[in-house]
Amino acid sequence: MKNLLLPYEVTKEAEMAEPLDFNRRSRLMNTHRVFKAEISSITQLTEKEKLFHIRILDPAERQRFTFLPGQFVMVEVPGYGEVPISIAGSASNRGFIELCIRRAGMVTSVLHRAKAGARVGLRGPFGTSFPVAMMKDHHVLLIAGGLGLAPLRSAILHVTENRSDFRNVHILYGTKSPDQLLFDYQYEQWRRVDGVNLSIIVEEGGDGWTGEVGLVTRLLDRIPIEPDRTYAIVCGPPVMFKFVCNKLGELGIPMRRMFVSLERRMHCGMGKCCRCNIGSTFTCKDGPVFDYWTAINLKEAI
Amino acid sequence: MACGTATRGRPPRRPRGEGFTLYKTLRKEAFRSVVEAILAGSEGVEPRRVGTDRHGKPIHQFLPVERFEDIDFSYDTTEFSAKTYFLPFRERLSTYRFSDGDWEQETRYRAEPRALIGLHSCDIHALLKLDKVFARDWYPSPYYLSRRRNTFILGIDHDPCEGAFCRSLGTDTVTHGFDLFLTDIGESYFAAVGSDRGLSLIDRFGARPITDEDSHRYVAERKRIAALMQNDLNLNNLPNLLDIEFKSPIWEKWGAKCLSCGTCAMVCPTCYCHGVYERISMDFQEGAKIRQLHACTLVDFAVVAGGHNFRPTPESRLKYRYYHQHRGFVEQHEEPKCVGCNRCGRACLAGIAPVDVIRELQEEVAP
Amino acid sequence: MRYLHIDSPRPRIAVFDFTDCEGCELQLANKEETLVPFLNAVEIVNFREIATGAGEDYEIAFVEGAISRSDEVERLKAIRGKARLLVALGSCACFGGVNRMKNAYDLGAANAEIYGRTPKETLPVRSVKEVVPVDLEIPGCPVSKDEVERIVRHLVLDVPFAFHAYPVCVECKQRFTTCLMEKGQLCLGPIVRAGCEAPCPAGGLGCWGCRGPAEAPNLEEFFALARERGFTDQEINERMAFFGGFEGVVVGGTR
Repeated sequence: MKNLLLPYEVTKEAEMAEPLDFNRRSRLMNTHRVFKAEISSITQLTEKEKLFHIRILDPAERQRFTFLPGQFVMVEVPGYGEVPISIAGSASNRGFIELCIRRAGMVTSVLHRAKAGARVGLRGPFGTSFPVAMMKDHHVLLIAGGLGLAPLRSAILHVTENRSDFRNVHILYGTKSPDQLLFDYQYEQWRRVDGVNLSIIVEEGGDGWTGEVGLVTRLLDRIPIEPDRTYAIVCGPPVMFKFVCNKLGELGIPMRRMFVSLERRMHCGMGKCCRCNIGSTFTCKDGPVFDYWTAINLKEAI
Repeated sequence: MACGTATRGRPPRRPRGEGFTLYKTLRKEAFRSVVEAILAGSEGVEPRRVGTDRHGKPIHQFLPVERFEDIDFSYDTTEFSAKTYFLPFRERLSTYRFSDGDWEQETRYRAEPRALIGLHSCDIHALLKLDKVFARDWYPSPYYLSRRRNTFILGIDHDPCEGAFCRSLGTDTVTHGFDLFLTDIGESYFAAVGSDRGLSLIDRFGARPITDEDSHRYVAERKRIAALMQNDLNLNNLPNLLDIEFKSPIWEKWGAKCLSCGTCAMVCPTCYCHGVYERISMDFQEGAKIRQLHACTLVDFAVVAGGHNFRPTPESRLKYRYYHQHRGFVEQHEEPKCVGCNRCGRACLAGIAPVDVIRELQEEVAP
Repeated sequence: MRYLHIDSPRPRIAVFDFTDCEGCELQLANKEETLVPFLNAVEIVNFREIATGAGEDYEIAFVEGAISRSDEVERLKAIRGKARLLVALGSCACFGGVNRMKNAYDLGAANAEIYGRTPKETLPVRSVKEVVPVDLEIPGCPVSKDEVERIVRHLVLDVPFAFHAYPVCVECKQRFTTCLMEKGQLCLGPIVRAGCEAPCPAGGLGCWGCRGPAEAPNLEEFFALARERGFTDQEINERMAFFGGFEGVVVGGTR
């Protein structure tokens, strides 16, 4: 196996020296109090997915709410329920939170019926994040399948906004068919960022599709990869990231530098309800972002 | 401290039992008065006989009791655990009031004082384990904490229950997590005092400092009880074993028996898995966010939006139940989640008992 | 819902009964504390039991009862033609209910037993979905008003509704009901869908399965443990056949 003896990156002194916030998570708080927020705008992305801009109403609370790319929030529709949603927007945007939501269950159906101006509750942010700080000075592969582009978009926006921190940046995105492509109106913008390469592929092209056809792994074939200087973030259904990560492994990227985001139906977000528990791991607080080594050891995850 | 009386003439000695837990003795005649004093001051929940099973054995439950006579301290185990008084089956987390295109949220977690009298040590251990999740881990739960702090716990020592394997899990004795814990030493009770409210209560009824004789009797009584323990299941290395046996046919066998009825988790003193859902009133004026106990063995436990079920078979669900009990919780909290009370084994209609499942797993890999 | 900026239209509903006791309809008209808001949330255009009008322009039709005559078949088809959403209400509509027991006998003999020398026209009993497509089934004998209200609140906003997938045992545990199987009674609780809040076992009566099977019930193990406790195949089969929810499920091969 290549790169078996690659040293761990423990030399970033700036990170190690950062004082720990010992109090934040152990403080007794009103665990179910929500930020009251307003849906400020709704964009129909595909037949099943909408992008919601959500603005926390209280200006002080809005300032207090910060998150890291890859984290999720619990969105509550009072009287109907609460669902975990990955944040799809940029962490530098303090004005509103972007959530890309697929109409799948009861609560998301209500959200899809709601109109701009509707008031919802927000709790969070929860969970682990993509290792954007560790990725500094490395080549970056951002790979998404289907709805996986929603959580990945927070990483894409971080990388494009802080382009100088990274070396080569490749974004690869695949869906089943062209009509399922999310954020298609933004591809041009990402492509134009200096040194960002975006490739799109669909499984079934159909009439009018002039782009590439096939699985997202195909796109990897023609990208030059420098395995010991590359980080990869892979978001999508388990079957997709399994194939992608195995391929990246063959190319020599160590498993601890590949990151995946797992999906489970959290009911609390705080490691209490166990609904997202996989053996000994809570997807809500130990995840949703895991390095691939951890993810494959979760047995049921893939 | 009130209990330290040094004998004249000898060098003063630190009274025995002074430390984290204080020890005292309480005359047996005073016990009734202690219980009645508790009942007079708060709601009391005690073991109560509620019926007889098909084999003629008594069935007990922890239920609110008003009179001392209704309490049956001689119970073996209860059908349901006492966790319901800390994690009720259904609990309102917050209330929403809708008006004029807006809503207001209200959360309440004030709990009324309550006393749990007659708990066995395994059930107190169960609370200590729940403390680790709901009080000592990230995001402590105000709902749990307010109940826990407002509940007075009086535990009692007892002869081992049939089928229990508490000794394997070290839950047959307990050192903290209670207000008072009593062991029968003949004419009086040897009382471990775990809180100031426990101390002031028994002091009111003539508790006395322990003597050497009391200590000897206590040790002898504990020895007698320990000798009666029948089930000695060796849980050594079980977490690794569970990993090695992840694909064992044993899970298929027990999984085929599992009714997926959730009874095991419902009666378990430590199972806390739950779901959260909301309700809206018929006039659409009020909404409620509700936490309801769920169980990892129920069919829809791991269903995600869109309908995919991560654990579609009873086999996978049952296996993950054991995983959480004996591996996952160990990894998180350095101890198994199970207290060995065997309530699940008794309640399972299909006869799935942890002792049998674990023994089979161990035999499977034995050379 | 104004806070969601969703206009909630009052759907026009109608309630029809077929071969049944009208008990489920009565449930709809029950529960005084929520009756007024319930009636405010919907517009009733046809509900013989509580209203005089007999409008034909309904969107949602609640159909109660089993189908056991040819004129009922015709009437049901007409309702299906008009309703945007057809809801089977109660165990009779969902499974055929108690009426379904008739199917185990010779039709003529059953007719003669009941009507003597003035036999009535009759067909083997069918559930609603055996005659026309059904959009939603609410089982129960009778239905739970709470559940119906919840479903109506979902229908008003046109959002999906999910029934409990798990069996009745969970709800017995919730109420601290001592397991009746442990006490020596037969109870279908482990294989029957929850949602009723288990009133029968709490009252000392083992579950008879009016809500039909839970999701993926372990029938084989249930039969084994019931036999082990001394219940005969006939007892178990009679219990399962009572409300018709276990149609086609037989233990031991004979009935």
